Amino acid sequence: MLTPEQIALIHAEIDGANSPEASTAVRALAEQNGEARALLADLHSISALIGRVHERAPPPHLRQAILEARARAMSPAHTSSIPKQASEFVQWLVSPFHYAARRMEDALMSKKAIIIGTSVVAIIAVIGGVVVGYPPTGGESGTIGGDPGSIGGVQQAARYRGRQMTERDVTVGNPQIAELFQNQDVLTLVKSDVFRQAMNNEAFRNLQSNEAFRNLMASDAYRQMMASDAYREMMASDAYRNLMNSEAYRELMNSDAYRQMMASDAYRQVQSSDAYRQVMANEASRNMMASEAYRELQSNEAYRQLEATEAFRNVQNTEAFRAVMANEAYRNAMANDAYRNAMSSEVYRNAMANEAFRNVMSNEAYRQAMSSDAFRQAMSNDAFRQVMANDAYRHLQGNEAFRSLSRNAQLSEAFLREASRQVQ
Amino acid sequence: MRRCLDGDPEAAGDLVDRYQRRLFNVALRMLGNVQDAEDVTQTVFGNAFVALKSYDSHYRFFSWIYRMTVNESLNAIKRRKRLVTLDDELDIPTEGTAADDAVEADDRVKRALMDLKPDDRAVVVLKHFVSFSYEEIADVLEVPVKTVKSRLFTARERLRLVLLARGS
Repeated sequence: MLTPEQIALIHAEIDGANSPEASTAVRALAEQNGEARALLADLHSISALIGRVHERAPPPHLRQAILEARARAMSPAHTSSIPKQASEFVQWLVSPFHYAARRMEDALMSKKAIIIGTSVVAIIAVIGGVVVGYPPTGGESGTIGGDPGSIGGVQQAARYRGRQMTERDVTVGNPQIAELFQNQDVLTLVKSDVFRQAMNNEAFRNLQSNEAFRNLMASDAYRQMMASDAYREMMASDAYRNLMNSEAYRELMNSDAYRQMMASDAYRQVQSSDAYRQVMANEASRNMMASEAYRELQSNEAYRQLEATEAFRNVQNTEAFRAVMANEAYRNAMANDAYRNAMSSEVYRNAMANEAFRNVMSNEAYRQAMSSDAFRQAMSNDAFRQVMANDAYRHLQGNEAFRSLSRNAQLSEAFLREASRQVQ
Repeated sequence: MRRCLDGDPEAAGDLVDRYQRRLFNVALRMLGNVQDAEDVTQTVFGNAFVALKSYDSHYRFFSWIYRMTVNESLNAIKRRKRLVTLDDELDIPTEGTAADDAVEADDRVKRALMDLKPDDRAVVVLKHFVSFSYEEIADVLEVPVKTVKSRLFTARERLRLVLLARGS
């Protein structure tokens, strides 16, 4: 049995903190004592293991984010937190509520975008996996475009390279997939340019290999939500498609400040709080968000309407909400031009006022999916956000063949089943 | 830092360049999550710039900024504990270009680190990832050297057991 002093001596040897005499003593101890020898070997092994871990490079945008935050903090407007004039006072009084309500809208929009995104990816994953092998690599062409009966422009799996690919090729071997590929919408999608672009897209490939995303796709809550009528209605709405294709929305999704806010700890706390979910499920709050009064929040009337919503007050009283208000990433996002542009755009307002959106928000399966761990993990994932902000991906969302697939309940279910099977 | 206090416009960028990688890695190993590490790093720099005017130059700057990083990471862990377990949040994506050996080591170490108590983890991170001496760690954490040693030995013993249990 080693004494505490001997153990300390062995640890110090690992840390290089022993004198030459102490090191000699450790070596002698190890030679004579099996327990000491084993401890020394184990500690060396741990130290070596840690030594093999590489240092990580910080995200490229971090430096800029730090310096921008500093510049804002040092600007006169920021340092003067006490409003000087009456109009400023009103604005100051209203601003926390204004921001909070906007943030809630934003959260809803981002979640919807992610849900839509995952359905797109599920479909591509299954089709892509079968047709071309997955993931595709950029330099492996050998495709054919436009020939009747061929899979136009899609890269071929190794087993298919060297000859043209037809629908017959992709229906061999898997009855489930065979059934999917007998559908005209699937074939139209596979032959489309947007599908090819998505398949070649690096962000998409990164997402495919991401564990958080795969867990999300396999979760029950997510699958139930995808199968709901409300979700399908939303997918079919023009308002949503317009939003996804709008410049303002793309700018928002691409902005660093927005991504920082979405990934921040405080932001996630509010999203997972009970009070927040109550507000999301609250009829008054949904009406408020879709109302003209809300859009004129900076007037006193809008402020009173907002204040009258009990669930909204509940959120304000939560610690998580206050944490968000004090959070640097949140403040940065609020001050971000891309965010403001997106919020004030016509397509965004139309989308928020859309009946299908509100149906999704009040849908039980949707709320369950929102509160699942798998969803939160996917949301905070870089690869996922890259796909969401990606041009090829958004073009695919606007593709008529894809939209037709998404509206088809039976096919959507089939894709999800197959995607989940792949995950398992 | 002195240039920063003197109003040199380039100094802040230089300070970030000099420390962001190391601070980000400390936060990453403390939290096991890239996004949280990013948050913490940004918060630390934000606080550092604000507090720079009141910084006492008798203290070493690196001790000061590492202390803020460790403390901010510990705060983030406390906040996160209310929501999910650490294991649920563990998300250090492996880098595709890294050698298999490094990826495997990264995965083993990050999981083993999360099994340590946050205070013990801080000591291991400062010792093994920043290569601080016992005295420097004591300075950063504002605890006696004896406490640093005690925590380090305890933490390494725990790491040893965890890694053995997982077949390392």
